[in-house]
Amino acid sequence: MLKTILFVLVTVLALNLKAQEPTVSEKLTEVNDKVNGLLERVATDEADLQKLAKIKVSGYIQAQYQNFETPTLLAKSQNYFSLRRVRVKFTYEAADGIKFVLQPDFAPGNFVLKDAYAVVNDRWTKSWSLWAGKFNRPNYEVEYSSSQREILERSLVVRTLYPGERAIGAKLEYNPQSTPIHMQVAILNGADGITVNNAAGTNLNAADNIDYDNSKDVMARVTYNLPLGSFGGLDFGAHGYFGSLKSMTTLTYKSDYTSSTPSYVGEKIGKNWLGGEFQLFADVLGGLSVKGEYISGKNASIGYAPAGAVLGSANFVNNFAGSYLYVIKNLGKRNQLAFRYDYYDPNTDIKGADVTIKQYDATSAWVKKASSKSDLATTTYGIAFHHYLDDNVRITFNYDIVQNEKVGRTSGISNIRENYTQADGQVVTNGIDYGTIIPQNVFSIRIQAKF
Amino acid sequence: MKKLNLLKSAIIAVLVGLVCFAFTAAPERITVKGSDTLVILAQKWAEEYMKTNSGANIQVTGGGSGVGISALINGATDIANASRKMKQTEKDKLKQRYNTLGVEVACAKDGITIYLNPANKVTELSIKQLSDIYKGVITNWKEVGGADQSIKLYGRENSSGTYVFFQENVVKGDYASSCQTLPGTAAVVNAVKKDAYGIGYGGAAYAEGIVICKVKKDDKSAAFVPTAETIKTGEYPITRFLYMYLRNRPTGETKKYIDWILGAEGQKLVVDMGYFPVK
Repeated sequence: MLKTILFVLVTVLALNLKAQEPTVSEKLTEVNDKVNGLLERVATDEADLQKLAKIKVSGYIQAQYQNFETPTLLAKSQNYFSLRRVRVKFTYEAADGIKFVLQPDFAPGNFVLKDAYAVVNDRWTKSWSLWAGKFNRPNYEVEYSSSQREILERSLVVRTLYPGERAIGAKLEYNPQSTPIHMQVAILNGADGITVNNAAGTNLNAADNIDYDNSKDVMARVTYNLPLGSFGGLDFGAHGYFGSLKSMTTLTYKSDYTSSTPSYVGEKIGKNWLGGEFQLFADVLGGLSVKGEYISGKNASIGYAPAGAVLGSANFVNNFAGSYLYVIKNLGKRNQLAFRYDYYDPNTDIKGADVTIKQYDATSAWVKKASSKSDLATTTYGIAFHHYLDDNVRITFNYDIVQNEKVGRTSGISNIRENYTQADGQVVTNGIDYGTIIPQNVFSIRIQAKF
Repeated sequence: MKKLNLLKSAIIAVLVGLVCFAFTAAPERITVKGSDTLVILAQKWAEEYMKTNSGANIQVTGGGSGVGISALINGATDIANASRKMKQTEKDKLKQRYNTLGVEVACAKDGITIYLNPANKVTELSIKQLSDIYKGVITNWKEVGGADQSIKLYGRENSSGTYVFFQENVVKGDYASSCQTLPGTAAVVNAVKKDAYGIGYGGAAYAEGIVICKVKKDDKSAAFVPTAETIKTGEYPITRFLYMYLRNRPTGETKKYIDWILGAEGQKLVVDMGYFPVK
């Protein structure tokens, strides 16, 4: 009896076990379902990833230590650490040929939106592109990335003509596939970074997001890449600026400090200049380049009208010239040496010796305008050594030797002198003498990390 | 004045030191990176060259033409292999970082091969048909004389030179979103091998276990498969040069290696490995 019961139990258990175990076909179906489920999830994740892949984030941080040579110990700090640029660039490629770029600069105390533009490329010839928003003005040094520049800051003429480098407007670019020519034409508000003060000292152009006058400025740049066989290549070109500022007053002075012209409120005071550029790349001794640009023309600043007892300030139109020349040599794969000559004369109509002597006569209605240190030319010799620790980190030692144009001297003392205050608070009268070269050299050590 | 002389002397000393440093002999290891199309040939070249030049140390890796060129610009490789020409934006980056325009060396020729599964009845396609297939305009094999089955597209990732070359010269537009991108020509061949209705493209040297589709310039032309003869005569319509890019004109061991590649021994290996010689 017991045997029979045991036999029945074992048989039932065995059958039960067999019944619980899935068949191969069931197992396959289960695995198949699981795989299909996974494939669906992978497809969803892939679709999400593809959306994310359209967003590219890059940026760089430039931390630096600088030492400024000064006439003597000033109250102002002579050396400090600072963050020169802290930039993050977001690029969103919405579709093939359509791109949005946003680049804020998070430098402490100087948060600013550097770039914010959309680019639409033509999809047929792949040669034309239309830009709209805030972008770099068309100029070689302006468009050359700060993270690659061989001397730490742009040349003085470029910094003066294109404050903040960017401008708001629209730009058409032509980069044909078959010819190494590149053309850019931009229409800009033209007042970006410019101060237009009224009699009360209020900047009428403070909201430089919009234009303070109705006239638009035009910029154009054309370059051509000429291959020079195994020697290297020569890129050359020109750019021009054709713009104006709206006069807020009734008189315009010129930089010869002799002639003046009547103006009217609303008159377009022209600011036009032309520049020629070249970049020679030579495959000699492991990579050498020589790059230069010369820009010359007429710039303008706007005054304000006399109002009752308040004297008026005339517009000022100055003929200027500026140039720079870089010589850059690569030293192996990780080091680079650069030298730059940088010259800017804000007033080519008068020489240093004539500064303060040349002036407009005083009148009862207008602020007296005399030539001053702002008419002096500046020459800067820059030398920099870069070491690339890896693809992302660059250490730079940069020394700028800054030399001002000297003004005329009478009996050993020049006619432009300035007081300065020492660290202990004592004022040194006429301590800075523009009849000599004022010590203003700058030594910088910069670490740049890119990602 | 003394101070100025001291400064001048210091600057001159640093300059002389740096220039001397620039010309110190670099170690003779050559790194090669880039095109997956070229990688098996590049590895063979390195292997054979090192057999006869015991002092040479050549390291070859793939990753795609774009990856190789980026590495060249970043200083991470000495030679970038590419199955397409360097783009203007890449040249500009090289100019900015190294002040050179780069040196281009055409080292082999290739016929971009269209891979089909042996089960597929289709044997030839025109450039226009290929374009429409990869754009997603033609989606069924019956539209080009095959079975009533959906076409499965396989291609390369956008860092690949083959991807760029095929897009610019055959597709002439955007790839269909259904095109499955794979990391390497071998993966494309493998996918087509397993998929009766798949189609892929890539280097001729990888074509194993699949059927090579004949290609014709247009409907009126004859169709050809890529062979040394049809590539030399230009009858096969999708041919291209394969390149090596360097930052500067090669010197020392690198020059010796490149001269060897372009010489009889190197070009013989080109043929042995299923590619086509430059001349």
